[in-house]
Amino acid sequence: MTAMTTEPARRPPFLKSRALRRFVRHRLALVGLVMVVLLSTACFLGPHLLAYDELSIDLRARFAPPFSGAHIFGTDPLGRDIAARLFHAGQISMAVGFSVMIIATCFGSVIGVVSGYYGGRTSAVLMRVVDAFLSFPSVFLLLALAAFIQPGPVMIALIIASTSWMEVARIVEAEVKSLRNQDFVQAAHMLGLTGRWIMFRELLPNAIGPIIVAATLTVARAILLEAYISFLGYGIQPPLPSWGNMLNGAQQYLQSAPWLAIVPGLAITIAVTGFNFIGDGLRDAFDSRTQEH
Amino acid sequence: MLRYITSRLGQSLILLVIVSFIGFAVLTLAPGGPLSQFALSPGMTQEQIAKIAAQMGLDRPLPVQYFDWLRHLVVGDWGTSYRDGQPVLAVIGSHLFATLLLMGTATVISVSLGSAIGIASALRRGTAFDYTMAVLAMVALSIPTFWFGLIAIYAFSLQLGWLPAGNMYTVGDGSVLDYLRHLILPAVVLALVDVAVWSRYMRTSTLTVINQDFVRTARAKGLTRRRILFRHIVGNSLVPMVTLAGLQLPTVLGGALVTETVFTWPGMGRLFLDSLGYSDYPVVMGLLMASAILVLLGNLAADLIVALIDPRILLD
Amino acid sequence: MTEKKNATFMNRRQAISLLGAAGVMAPAMIGRDKAFAANADPSGQLTLAFSQEPTVFNPLMPHIEVDEGVYYAVFDPLFDFDPDGNFFPILVAEVPTVANGGISADGLQWKVKLKPGVTWHDGTPFTAEDVKFSLELTMDPDFRSFRSTGYKFMQNITAVSDTELTWEMSEPFAPMAAILASTYIIPKHAFDGVADKNTAPFNNAPIGTGPFKFKQRMAGDHIEFEANTDYHMDGPYLKTLIIKYVPDLNVMYTQFKSGDIDVIGLQYISPDHLGEAEKLPGKVVKLAGAATFESIGLNMTKPQFQDPAVRKALYMALDKASIIDALYYGVPKPTETYMPQQSFYYNPDLPKHEFSIEKANALLDEAGWKKGADGIREKDGVKLAFTNSTTAGNHLREQAQQFFQQTFEQIGVKVTIKNFPPAVMWGDYWMNSEFDSVVVGLNCLAGADPDTSDYFMSTMSPIRGGSGQNTFAYQNPKVDELLVKGAASFVPEERKPIYQEIQQIIRDDLPFLPVFQYALIKGWKSDVSGVEPNVNNRIDTWNVRDWKRS
Repeated sequence: MTAMTTEPARRPPFLKSRALRRFVRHRLALVGLVMVVLLSTACFLGPHLLAYDELSIDLRARFAPPFSGAHIFGTDPLGRDIAARLFHAGQISMAVGFSVMIIATCFGSVIGVVSGYYGGRTSAVLMRVVDAFLSFPSVFLLLALAAFIQPGPVMIALIIASTSWMEVARIVEAEVKSLRNQDFVQAAHMLGLTGRWIMFRELLPNAIGPIIVAATLTVARAILLEAYISFLGYGIQPPLPSWGNMLNGAQQYLQSAPWLAIVPGLAITIAVTGFNFIGDGLRDAFDSRTQEH
Repeated sequence: MLRYITSRLGQSLILLVIVSFIGFAVLTLAPGGPLSQFALSPGMTQEQIAKIAAQMGLDRPLPVQYFDWLRHLVVGDWGTSYRDGQPVLAVIGSHLFATLLLMGTATVISVSLGSAIGIASALRRGTAFDYTMAVLAMVALSIPTFWFGLIAIYAFSLQLGWLPAGNMYTVGDGSVLDYLRHLILPAVVLALVDVAVWSRYMRTSTLTVINQDFVRTARAKGLTRRRILFRHIVGNSLVPMVTLAGLQLPTVLGGALVTETVFTWPGMGRLFLDSLGYSDYPVVMGLLMASAILVLLGNLAADLIVALIDPRILLD
Repeated sequence: MTEKKNATFMNRRQAISLLGAAGVMAPAMIGRDKAFAANADPSGQLTLAFSQEPTVFNPLMPHIEVDEGVYYAVFDPLFDFDPDGNFFPILVAEVPTVANGGISADGLQWKVKLKPGVTWHDGTPFTAEDVKFSLELTMDPDFRSFRSTGYKFMQNITAVSDTELTWEMSEPFAPMAAILASTYIIPKHAFDGVADKNTAPFNNAPIGTGPFKFKQRMAGDHIEFEANTDYHMDGPYLKTLIIKYVPDLNVMYTQFKSGDIDVIGLQYISPDHLGEAEKLPGKVVKLAGAATFESIGLNMTKPQFQDPAVRKALYMALDKASIIDALYYGVPKPTETYMPQQSFYYNPDLPKHEFSIEKANALLDEAGWKKGADGIREKDGVKLAFTNSTTAGNHLREQAQQFFQQTFEQIGVKVTIKNFPPAVMWGDYWMNSEFDSVVVGLNCLAGADPDTSDYFMSTMSPIRGGSGQNTFAYQNPKVDELLVKGAASFVPEERKPIYQEIQQIIRDDLPFLPVFQYALIKGWKSDVSGVEPNVNNRIDTWNVRDWKRS
């Protein structure tokens, strides 16, 4: 509360705190980066270091609790090593996350740049479509889609991407619209460059900062959404593990084997938090207009 | 103003048609169907299923089914559920209360708690408290809602035995206290994400207000901190939050769906999953449309309220 | 067939014996007429939980198992099966048999005598016209009716008087009585002036003759019933019955434990909770057999499954003991056939399953299936690789699937798991035999009748141009012949060897690999009495009229 009354007198410390804040922000991004790198390393190297693979079943070793022996994170109802499954699932969940990011960013960028460049009716139609997609609670749409297809990682990625491109489209559209009438675009027109050249070689690169930020956050969101639909049973199907479907069967054993729920949930939280931290840091880094409040 | 509302409503209508078209295409082009649930009944034959399908009009070409559905929708007939033969609106209506109760309680929690954290962070910006809250908010945004629900059930229902693990009330009890006991866990779980969102936006909004002239004037007039805080800052910071509430609707609705599943809450999310499982297209379509309408109206209402509160904003 | 002989054979499911044999059945002790017993005032409330939601309240319309939970409370069939497979009368004065003249010796003329003085919940008297209406509605081409099996032979239904009804059959059809036992009678007057019977108001506000009146439904949560004090049989003893919908088995179990639920119904206690449940104070927990059997069904049109050696080897490589003991906690019983072990027609002499990877491998080697570079066996260009499908989200089944996927790998067979949500799985994918193999729980019987033509007759396979439920596309001329013979015979002792031989042939042919017969873990509070498992009925409430709280 003291902050308020002393406000006008605090200009210099304010600057200082802004610097501090920036530092912390970046430190957060750094923490995020470390989290993501560590988790990815574990997921991609881990399986080679463990004595078990993610599919080998051993009914005699069912429900071994974590840290109780050879299985560091315990075993599942079929006696499979949870650590092995967790790492393998991580590869799949992250692959889905990144695929969604690539598909959604590309698609969103194209829609955004076309809409922003041509404006008028094209823009109106495209942006209404964007609104239509945004007005769906995406979990409803995802489930409706996933319930009726053969749910493999590729299809799941495509479906999630189909509900994740609107943000990028909006960002790019706004950016392109503001750039459209600037001198360098006019100059390009005069040089007789094609619309496609102008859109993708001149305008789009200028929006790259916000796109990267949105892309990072899309990875986080996609990992979460994959977990949602797999948890509800409409996502990636066993025996292929994903973080979401590892949780799917866990509710049943919540009382007797809570680690089945805790371990994959923690992995998801760490991954998503990591990407969100990075995205937040990137936003600061890219946005020259960042106003310290 | 009126022109603005009509044009917004017009746009919304076009949106709804697009939404309905996508939804219908997805549902009906997919394999399976509402009669699959009877396939395993003793004595059920392929012949009988085909006969029932014809009686239900499911053998007609899809475009015919779509336009038939749309034609009825326009005159307020949302069709009847394949499962219980009730009008879709009645089916949705009977699940609406549970969802609204859950969403309403969660919103109250997130608005009050989120605003408090946001304002406190703004007033103490740069302090350890501010940073902690910032980090916590980001973590909260990253936790899968259903997982948080599972952990809450594990801790508070299974281990401590303080609160029920599911359902909205105990049959035969149904007192306010009973409802409350059932409501606490799901509402808190659902509110988690929103508390984070609200606190961040509220912080920004408060900072903007703090630096505005009238606050400085008030301060110069020597008003007490408390008075300034409640008279001027809180009220004014909340204005942009109204829009946020509108924009957050789809998220809250989606979150409610997942939360309802974990806590076996008898609301629209539960209905949606059940209807999906049985391929009850009319209800699934009805829920898609209802949620889209709710979201569109929510957004429109938010914009209008803001315009009413803040005369500086001109619509058009 | 003498009366005496019949009586000796009257062990379990001699249901059909009543049709042909000259047996007179002793009145069962359950379901007595009101006249026989003093009826105490109904008191108390009981909450029964199901993990699915009952939504179809017109019993003649397409419905699922859980809906029948409501039917037994609100409606009555003419007669029903008791747990031993015997019929007992409900709306009829006596169950029609050849002996009492209810059925003609050739099985073509039926005469049913109804109980006098029965009324509907709204006070209207119940008459033969209501029965006629119900039977005819089932056959009405404009009505979305649940079944046609059997009814297509029924004609000239006549209400001779208020309490007497006759009809003719175009063919003798032994399973008809079993079908009638699951046909609930609905009131004609509720449909007076209703143009489209598919959307009659009755369908959401059912009126029956049953022990409980439908009071109100909270969609997505529960249905409330109140005692029908004018019930024509002994009971009901409960003032209020609540059927609660709890969509999650864990929550259901937790609520059973905490006492919120008095009787845990359909889907019951999951096997992993059995150990704990048995120790719960104040609760009765019982294992009860069910007529459903779990199997790995093979699509007999697929090239992988043409060689009998392959099917035998697969069965040998199936570690049934581990699946049942470890994954299902030893709850269900291993089986070699589709016929429930409680059945009169069950064949106990089928060869016992033997699990042996070596023998399975030897069998395949001998049959000329050679392992390729990828370790998968192959013969004449056909690889022993196939998909296996079931309902996504059925955790125990998914575990079993992954388990045999791994054991089959040891005999050079590659299984790819391809599961679908229920609406997709049991749609055309199942009906038109689009699968390679499935894991499925099937109950091929109607009540206690042993006829399974819909499932094993070669003409009943949709993919082969038929219209039944023979989705394994099984064909064996000998089985066809036996099935026809069995359905035309009314004498249980004649039918028994026929159906035992069918079981033997199917066990040899292995169109499906039988895994186990279901056992359900039922539970109720110890102050509840009258709850009695019945393998011949699909649902717990078959005798809800007898349920009591003390």
